[in-house]
Amino acid sequence: MTGLVGALGEAWSELRHHKLRVLLSLIGIAVSVGALTAVVALSEYQQQQMAEQSDVSGGRPATVSISAGRTDGSPMDWQAFDAHVAQVSERYSFTYQTRLVNNATVDIQTPEQVRSVGAWLVDPAYPIIHRTPLLEGRWFQDADAELLAPPVVITEALWDVYGRPALGGGFALQLQGDAGGSYTVIGVTPKQYDGDNEKRVVMLFDSYRSRVEQLSADTPVMWEVWMPEAEVADIGPLLAADLRAGLDKSVDVTVSRTDWASRPEMQNSSAMFEMITGAIAGLVLLLGGLGLVNIQLVAMRQRIREIGVRRSFGATGGRIFTSVLLESVVATAVAGVIGIALAVAILKAPFVLTMFQGMQDIPPFPMRAAVTGLIAAVAIGALAGFIPALMAVRSNVIDALRF
Amino acid sequence: MELVSLVRLEGVAKHVILPDDSRLDILRDIELAIAAGDHVAIVGRSGSGKSTLLNLMGMLDRPSEGAVWFRGEPVRKMRRGKLDKLRGRNVGFVFQQFNLLAGRTALENVEMPLGYASGRSFWNRRRTATAMLERVGLGHRIDSTPEQLSGGEQQRVAIARALVRRPALILADEPTGALDVETGGSVMALLDAIASEADAALVTITHDLHVAARARRHYRLEAGVLTPFDLSAPAAGAAAAAAYDRIGIAPELAESVGGPLSGEQPLAEASTSEDELAADAVEVAS
Repeated sequence: MTGLVGALGEAWSELRHHKLRVLLSLIGIAVSVGALTAVVALSEYQQQQMAEQSDVSGGRPATVSISAGRTDGSPMDWQAFDAHVAQVSERYSFTYQTRLVNNATVDIQTPEQVRSVGAWLVDPAYPIIHRTPLLEGRWFQDADAELLAPPVVITEALWDVYGRPALGGGFALQLQGDAGGSYTVIGVTPKQYDGDNEKRVVMLFDSYRSRVEQLSADTPVMWEVWMPEAEVADIGPLLAADLRAGLDKSVDVTVSRTDWASRPEMQNSSAMFEMITGAIAGLVLLLGGLGLVNIQLVAMRQRIREIGVRRSFGATGGRIFTSVLLESVVATAVAGVIGIALAVAILKAPFVLTMFQGMQDIPPFPMRAAVTGLIAAVAIGALAGFIPALMAVRSNVIDALRF
Repeated sequence: MELVSLVRLEGVAKHVILPDDSRLDILRDIELAIAAGDHVAIVGRSGSGKSTLLNLMGMLDRPSEGAVWFRGEPVRKMRRGKLDKLRGRNVGFVFQQFNLLAGRTALENVEMPLGYASGRSFWNRRRTATAMLERVGLGHRIDSTPEQLSGGEQQRVAIARALVRRPALILADEPTGALDVETGGSVMALLDAIASEADAALVTITHDLHVAARARRHYRLEAGVLTPFDLSAPAAGAAAAAAYDRIGIAPELAESVGGPLSGEQPLAEASTSEDELAADAVEVAS
C-alpha cells in the first residue's frame, strides 16, 4: 500500500519537476487521444444521423410493412383488406400503426393556378414511426380526423408557392375534385436536400376517406407497424400467418421489415468509418508514444545518478521500476483526460453541429469514446514507460553514484 | 573494548577483471568490525579502494571473496529486495558531492528515504523530515532547492536526509570534500553530534586529517589493504607522519592533526617552523 502510494507520489513529483519536458512530450499524446475519442464520438454521431435519415424512409427499428396485391389481375378491394388488417392487428394491440398511400394526387388552388400535387394519406402514427421532421407547426393528432376543415401538412416547396404564410392564421389549402374543400395547414416539412422542390400534401387517411367514397384499385395501400425490436422476430411470422388466414388464394400478402437495422450493410459502413479513422488516430498515438519513449530514455540517462541515490536510500528495484513506469502512465493518463476534454470541445464546436444538421436526437457524449481514449492513453504510457523503467532498474548503483 | 558488531567484514576482497583479462585487486583481505555507536575514520589516497569499501559496508556492492555480516546475518545470502529494505532502514549515506535531488526542495530531499519506509514512518514523513531539517538548523530553508543553498547548507540537508530514518550506520564518503575548511569543520561537528544523539555508528572516509581526527578509531587504506593505526598514541606525531608520508600527505599536517588528540604535549616533536600551521589546524578542527 505505502509502496504504491509512495511510487505514485514520486511519479507525480517527478512530473511536476519536469513540467515543460512532460508538457511538450505529451502534446502528441493528448492530440491523438483527443482525435481517437472524437473519431469514436463522431462515428456515433454519424451512425445516429444515418439512422435518423433511414428512419425517415424506412421507419424506426423495427418497422414492419404490410402490403398486398392480387395475383389474378382483378382489382384489389382495399376497403375490405383494410378492415381485415384492422381486425387482425387488434389482437396484437400495436401502439404505433399507420396506413400509407403515397401515390394519390389532389388538385389544389394555388395563387396562380389549379395544380395537381402528390398526396400522402397517413395515420397520426406515421410521423412518429418515420421520425419525420417538421420545419414549422405540428403533426396530426387523433382528434384531427373529426375536424370540419381537416388538417394537412405540406412540404416546404409547396409552402413557398403560397409565400410562406404564418400557420394558425387561417392558412388553408383549397382542394378541387373528389376530395374538394378547405384544408387547414398545420405543419410544414423541411426540404430534405438543397433544391428539394417536391410539392406534396400529407393528409389524414380518414379525412380523405370521409370525402372520397372509394379508393381506386390502382392506389395501393400499405400498412406499417412499429414494434419493439426484440419482439419483431417472433411477431412478424405470426402476423403474416394471421393476415393470410381466411383470405382467398389470389390475394398475396407481404410482411417485411423496412427499417435500416434489418440491413447489416449500413452498420458495416459505419464500422468501417470508425475502423479507418480509428486506425489513423491509433498510428498518431503510437508516434506520440515513440516520442515519449525517446524523451524518457534521454531523460533517464540524466537521472541515473538520482536513481543511484534513491537505491542507496532503500528503494528496491521493483519500486524504481514502478515509479518510472507510473511516471509515463500518470503523464499519459493526464494527457488522455486533456485529450478527452479536447474531444468534448470539438464535438460541441459549432462547425460539427452544422455538419450534423438536422439530427433530432444528439447522442450524449459517448462514454465508450472516453473510455477508449483513456485506455489507449494509459496503454501507450505503460508501453512508453517500460523501456526506461527497465533501464532504470538495470543501472548499476555504484557506477551511478561514482561521478 | 568489547564491541557488539553491527557490520563485520571478514577476509573481504574485491577485484574486477579488466578488458585485457587481467585482474585488478581493489581490496585485499579486509578485516573490519563496526559496533553500534562506533566512530571510525578510514584514510587513504584517491584510488585506494575507499569508496569500494564503503559500498561493501553499505551493502550496495558484494565482495568477490570473504563475507559481510550485518547484525550477525550474512549479507551474501540475502535476496536483493530484502537487502534494499535492510539498507534503507539501517544505513544513511552522506556523499562528497551531496547528491541531493536537483530541483526538489530541501524538504522533499529529506523526505525521500522515508518514502521507502512503511507504516507510520511513511505517513508521517513530512513532519519527521521537517523536524530533522530544524535539527540541522535549516528549518527556515525547507522550501529551498539545492540550487538555492550554499555548499554547507546542501551538506546539512544531506546529513538530515541520511539521518531521517534513524539509521544504525552512517557512511560518509568524503563529507567535507567539496567544502572549505571552516564549513567542513562545522558540518563534521554537526554530523558527529547528530550521530552520537542517535547512537549511530559513523564511518567516515576521508583524506582530510582534520576530519579523521574526530573519529575514535582510525584505519589506513593503502593499495587495497586496511591497517589500523592509533592517532592518540604518544608517538602519534612521528607515527602518523610516517604513515601519512606513505600515503602522500605532508607530515606537518599529520602532526597538527595528531596534536589535539595526543594530550599534553601534542606538538612537542613538531619543529617550530610548523607551529603556526598546527595551531591553525587545531583551531579549525575544534
